[in-house]
Amino acid sequence: MNTVTDQSPDQSPDPSTAPATEPAPLPRPIWGRHLLVLAVIAVVLVPLPLLLPPNTQAVAVRVLIFALMAVGWNIMSGFGGMFSFGHAAYFGLGAYVSVWLLVNHGVSPWIGLLVGMLVAAAFATLIGFLALRYRLKGAYFALSTFAFAEMLRLLAINSDFVNRAVGYNVPLRPEFSLAFMQFAPGSPAYFWIALGLTVAAIAVSILFLRSRTGRFLVAVRDDEDAAAAVGVPVMRTKLVTMALSAAVTSVAGTFYAQYYFFIDPDVAFGSSVSIQAILPAVIGGVATIWGPAIGALVLGPLNDVTATLLRNPPAALSFLEGRAGLDVIVYALLLILIVLLLPQGIYGALRDRWRRR
Amino acid sequence: MTEQIPSATAPTVAEGEGHTSSPRLWARVPWTRVAIGVGFFVVAIALAYLRAGNGDVVRQAVLTGILIGGVYGLVAMGLTLIFGVLDIVNFAHGAFLAVALYITVTMVSRLGVNPLVALFVAVPVMFLLGAGVQRFVLAGAMGKPLENQLLITLGLALLIDNVLLMSFGPNPQSVKLPGDTGVQIFGAVATVSRLLAFGVAIVLAALLYVLLQRTRLGTAIRAVAANEAGAQLVGIDTRRIYMATFAIGTACAGAAGVLVAPLVTIEPTTGELFNIIAFVVVVLGGMGNVIGALVGGLIIGLTEQLGALYFPGQSPLLSVFVVFVLVLFLRPQGLFGKAS
Amino acid sequence: MRKTWIAGLALALPLALAACGGSTPPGTAGAGGATKAAGEAIKIGSLHPLSGSSAADGQQMDNAAKLAVEAINAAGGIKSMGGAKLELLSADSQGKPEVGQSEAQRLIQEGAVSIVGTYQSAVSQNVAAVAERNKVPFVIDVSSADAILAQGYKYSFRLQPSGTVLAEDGAQNLFDVSKAAGKPAKKIAILHEQGPFGTAIKDTFSKKAQSLGMTIGPVASYDAASVSDFTTQMAAVKASGSDVLMVAGYYRDGVLVANAVKTVKPGVNAVWGVANGAFDVPTFPGEVGAAGEGFFDSNYHLDGTNPDTQALMKTYQAKYKDQIRTAAVLSYDAVRVIADSLERSGSADPTKVRDAIAQTNLKSLIASKGPITFGPTGENEGAAPILMQVQSGKVVQTFPKEFAQTAPRYPATPAS
Repeated sequence: MNTVTDQSPDQSPDPSTAPATEPAPLPRPIWGRHLLVLAVIAVVLVPLPLLLPPNTQAVAVRVLIFALMAVGWNIMSGFGGMFSFGHAAYFGLGAYVSVWLLVNHGVSPWIGLLVGMLVAAAFATLIGFLALRYRLKGAYFALSTFAFAEMLRLLAINSDFVNRAVGYNVPLRPEFSLAFMQFAPGSPAYFWIALGLTVAAIAVSILFLRSRTGRFLVAVRDDEDAAAAVGVPVMRTKLVTMALSAAVTSVAGTFYAQYYFFIDPDVAFGSSVSIQAILPAVIGGVATIWGPAIGALVLGPLNDVTATLLRNPPAALSFLEGRAGLDVIVYALLLILIVLLLPQGIYGALRDRWRRR
Repeated sequence: MTEQIPSATAPTVAEGEGHTSSPRLWARVPWTRVAIGVGFFVVAIALAYLRAGNGDVVRQAVLTGILIGGVYGLVAMGLTLIFGVLDIVNFAHGAFLAVALYITVTMVSRLGVNPLVALFVAVPVMFLLGAGVQRFVLAGAMGKPLENQLLITLGLALLIDNVLLMSFGPNPQSVKLPGDTGVQIFGAVATVSRLLAFGVAIVLAALLYVLLQRTRLGTAIRAVAANEAGAQLVGIDTRRIYMATFAIGTACAGAAGVLVAPLVTIEPTTGELFNIIAFVVVVLGGMGNVIGALVGGLIIGLTEQLGALYFPGQSPLLSVFVVFVLVLFLRPQGLFGKAS
Repeated sequence: MRKTWIAGLALALPLALAACGGSTPPGTAGAGGATKAAGEAIKIGSLHPLSGSSAADGQQMDNAAKLAVEAINAAGGIKSMGGAKLELLSADSQGKPEVGQSEAQRLIQEGAVSIVGTYQSAVSQNVAAVAERNKVPFVIDVSSADAILAQGYKYSFRLQPSGTVLAEDGAQNLFDVSKAAGKPAKKIAILHEQGPFGTAIKDTFSKKAQSLGMTIGPVASYDAASVSDFTTQMAAVKASGSDVLMVAGYYRDGVLVANAVKTVKPGVNAVWGVANGAFDVPTFPGEVGAAGEGFFDSNYHLDGTNPDTQALMKTYQAKYKDQIRTAAVLSYDAVRVIADSLERSGSADPTKVRDAIAQTNLKSLIASKGPITFGPTGENEGAAPILMQVQSGKVVQTFPKEFAQTAPRYPATPAS
């Protein structure tokens, strides 16, 4: 456990390092291998926007935003086991803080990104402290995070300080600049920035897990009392986790605002945002490093695929053409089926398979 | 690989026990707590008087709050049962309610019957629908992590909403209750349909209470809620109980849908209106606690109405969430649950 | 084994389909192909909420845009371009800004020379930025937020009157009508939804009303998505002794307002909608019955006295078995504006189309004070609200005179 070295010789999720028993009690870590795989994937993906047809680039960026949100959620709710149904709060703070600074004070969104991370982390620490102080767990914990996100939304709607329900437009700039994160429409730079942020987030989650706090966290998650008994600072571990998780998700909010040029309280703090942070992680595999990214890869295009397919259906299905709502029905059915058939997520199911071999 | 999924949910599952053992507890509630609650509201009403400066407005707010609260309680009853026994956060509850709304609309427009007659169709149909959904969809998710169940019920809600959209079209529809006029009560007015919904909410709560307390099925449901493994040991078929409970909960949504139909504009997404409030009510009342849901509904209804008097510029939902968070922190087992 | 299968499939399917879907429209990859081969249809994007809570309006608007394209094609297409035909690309925004944004992007990439949409202000905000950056004109049929055109965008135009115009004219109409009836409005109670639309209307209306010598009574806001009853607010209106109740909101809440008015009987001379989403909708009187009798709405509205509009109403009724709403007529107008601009520019180059749209001078099917012409910010200078009233269970146009089907009935104490 403490000797974290690259041990597996070949494929990253290697069977030789993992015990064969089903719910493996903390199998040996292979962090270095993860980082290596991440680096390779990042390099491979860099030329992607130049190869993709132009109209799929928006989808690719959306996939990355999904992934970023879900990686953040996964740190707290997957690895930490503290189920959050209110990550919209952190996403929204990231979006609002950066845009507020940009619109009112002309501050670069890069700085806004950092400030947003700090604000989101602080807010997470605050509500985390309250929730832990009052020993909320499970569904109750989840509902309290939901309540805080909703309260932020309602406060934003009703305060002049953030332009009430009107929200903000990100001002378009005549020249395109890296300093203000604004490029020509369809520029690959958007993809590259999103890719960079997502890769960084995954790297952070890998490094966090191998850190002291990360190992404490897994111990706390698996048996809080036992961990406390051997001197793990339970409260501090959990709070650090929440703060980190919030900071990562806030980055998605900042980038979202700069990419879509508009935010309002519903877009930033709405409950559908919280769901979007959960979906990719569950589809891909909760509490796995690669799950959120894989889930995002499936979910991001899914909506477009069902919409496109039903807009121009193949001849056999032509009677379905133009029935509004049908694409959402297909989407919902697929969602239910995936969650039912693959309760551990796509990556979880694949990994089990490899392990058993 | 290092990650490990099942343990992520261990706290969730283990935690249910303290809260779930339902209405029986309510009978033992110390009445002092109720007295404190009543005292609270007397103060709240007095403050509202000072703030609004007009008795009519406050009386109307209190009456409306109570009546709306009845509706909230009505919607939350089925939900609290499902939450308490199956430990599932059911986001499809509002969508089920919408199905009942459309059953009512269809019956009224096709057959020209009184909307209340739809109760006799909607309740059994929703019971069967609930049983089917539990058996074929949710049964596979029992004991799975919270987030999996959440996504499945969310997917169900999306599915039902859009099936309704496809079959009934997007145009808003409405249902009229014959003879639905205003009734004067202590200088405030209420419509017959609201009074009716309120009355049925109380009757339904009483029926459910009797069902849970006085019947074999009810005893079995409570046993499963309190301790699944134990219930299994004494020969209770837990899978059947889960199905029955979910079916009863959904049938409650059916009853609520019929009664709410004359009060709302009926669109495929109408059910969503109630989802969030219903969850707040469930937590407030203590999960699995039917009577608690009714009282929780009243509290939220009054909070919303009086809150709007205190802070006219702010959204009434904000006061609802403040109350919600306070209850979560101070009495997470619900106002009527046993302290853990 | 089975799980691996499913997992693999789940992973591969959307990606494979996305790849295919992405490459289907060949030859149109460049943004808005400027050189159209002869005979190739000119594409116009229609982006509306076809699902979600605004689906009723969204579907109507999309249908009307289709009707407009069919009508123009039947009349010989774009004559200056050799009778080129139009083709409508429909897209569903689901009422969500981010979906609207990516759908707008897709429409542009599939070669739309212009986009019509989008109903929700939040979605229009997003699409306006996309249009601006891609230099493709965006004709807003419905979306009231002033902010959309306050960004200095060159490629966005709006047909419906802005929130400011709606609110100011709403106050002015109230002043004129109540004065002419000999009972000038004095104290106005306000009930508005708390979103940007309702709040903006409330602010501007209050200012204008005060400048006309009226006072503002109790003001209450509500969350349109969750509100379920207005009796308390109505009791407050009653207690305040206001003689007019102004309401700025949407359909569902408008129905609740009518029911609460009927129950509480606040004793006002008029319930006065400003850009209200309910009081001038054809289905409203049927839904609320006697409760809605006498309700006013000062709003943009299809011109029921215009023979062309009447013809459109008939066609729509025949084809879609539904009464066309004003929002859909605006979508119809928006497509006409684009077709007219194509005719004048003789080119399908979006930039040239944009310049032609800026020079538009076209008679509208909506009641307005002049033809459609666009000001420097892209606002329709001809747009103005008129006054509707529910009379004998029907929404009729009552003011100003040139659009009046009957005279306004004021005071119109509801539920009396």
